[in-house]
Amino acid sequence: MNNVIIIGSGPAGLTAAITCAQKGLEVYVIDEYMKPGGRLLGQLYEQPDGTWWNGINESNKLFQQAVDLGIQFYLETAVFNIEKKDNRWKVYTDKETFQTTNLLLATGAAEAPVPIPGWTLPGVMSVGAAQVMTNVHRVKPGNRGIIIGINVLSSAIAMELKLAGVDIACLALPKNNQITHESAHPKKVLDSLLHVAHMAPSSFVKLGSKLMKNNFMKELGVTFFPRNGVKMWDIPIQLKKAVIEIYGEQEVAGVTIASISSKGEVIEGSEENIAVDFVCIAGGLYPLGELAALTGCPFHYIEELGGYVPLHNEQMETPVEGLFVAGNITGIEGAKVAAAQGRVAGLSIAERTGQHQLEEELKDAIKQVADTRKNAYIQFHPEVESGRRTVQMEWEEYWSKREQII
Amino acid sequence: MAECEMIICRCEEVTYQELLDTAITYNCSARELKLRTRAGMGYCGGRTCRSMVDQVAKQVGSEQSKKSISLKYQAPIRPVNFVDLGGEGK
Repeated sequence: MNNVIIIGSGPAGLTAAITCAQKGLEVYVIDEYMKPGGRLLGQLYEQPDGTWWNGINESNKLFQQAVDLGIQFYLETAVFNIEKKDNRWKVYTDKETFQTTNLLLATGAAEAPVPIPGWTLPGVMSVGAAQVMTNVHRVKPGNRGIIIGINVLSSAIAMELKLAGVDIACLALPKNNQITHESAHPKKVLDSLLHVAHMAPSSFVKLGSKLMKNNFMKELGVTFFPRNGVKMWDIPIQLKKAVIEIYGEQEVAGVTIASISSKGEVIEGSEENIAVDFVCIAGGLYPLGELAALTGCPFHYIEELGGYVPLHNEQMETPVEGLFVAGNITGIEGAKVAAAQGRVAGLSIAERTGQHQLEEELKDAIKQVADTRKNAYIQFHPEVESGRRTVQMEWEEYWSKREQII
Repeated sequence: MAECEMIICRCEEVTYQELLDTAITYNCSARELKLRTRAGMGYCGGRTCRSMVDQVAKQVGSEQSKKSISLKYQAPIRPVNFVDLGGEGK
């Protein structure tokens, strides 16, 4: 018998599990992947203080701590439905059906696709898939690749691929169409990159980001952005080139790339071919809320948080009784924020099981989330705090309008 | 390959052009676009193309609400054997 089931064993799920177990709760953790750690597993980067953040080590530490606390893990177990019956959650998986009174969804995020002609060829993968192959399975996705889509995630993974000895021809934009939209617009992309420029080891980029605080300078920045790109970790970042096609007979053989105007329009006659044996597409992350959606939990679209997020409060409760959320399902942020949210969710669940005197701890944990967010090295969206405030406002509006859903 | 022939929904083989034409002709919401073209209604349950169908509707179709999910999720959200679905499995 358990007190809580946690779906997802990433930083949020594991931290929540540990918190619950420390409060004496029986905890089950379910994850569809074969290893615990979630997206934490793929992370590998140098921190501002010069030490390396190795996601595999971080995952192992959390997992070991959880196992020592007696937490039960069900890995390689896919949840395909959840249902509430007689005030208990039924969690249907491809292995068995579980029941619980408290359910935490820590399902993280998924990658958004970027359609490019030829993108269904074998050898085309999401940038996250290339990261998992390289950092988790230690298999090279190919010898030479190109990354389509320039954002925080793709530039970090480009560096990791390089560390693993995989050649990256460049990072370029996708061709502009009704789906790629802003991700194909040089100025919009530059805009979103400016706030992560401090990560760039290139002083040109750092200096550039200071100069480009206003719109006029940004316009100039895009206009004068070098045709051959700016190099980060020795990889050219091509803000003014777009991949217009991926070609190959049976599998990827290369891409056709063309120069684009500062508005993203292809300049005729500038096409050239680049031979590669794999292609990564990087459309960014969106919160994976499918299970929450099945419960009838209300959702709201919040651009700054990466898409539709289930309504929740600072205690990580949803309006659905006994349903909690933590981590990227609530909005796209880094692993440390996710872990801090996991702790909050764990304490809220412990409180719901009847434990007292957790108010102070819960208050501290909530503050910890805000502090972690403020000090985060990487912000996936510069306005993430405003997105968080929107959720709070929606939460209050929701309660002012109606009674709790049962 | 021309952009118009580009496949958006792999399960139901719906092209970019088909989605654009349908969204423009009928001024579709994401849901209507899905129902008219079958994009997102195949084996994977829209796991791959959902956000693209949403985006086409948003760009060239009708106004979408921010207050609810445009394309409904339905169980099973992962491919599952009939025997497991019916609870007759392990």
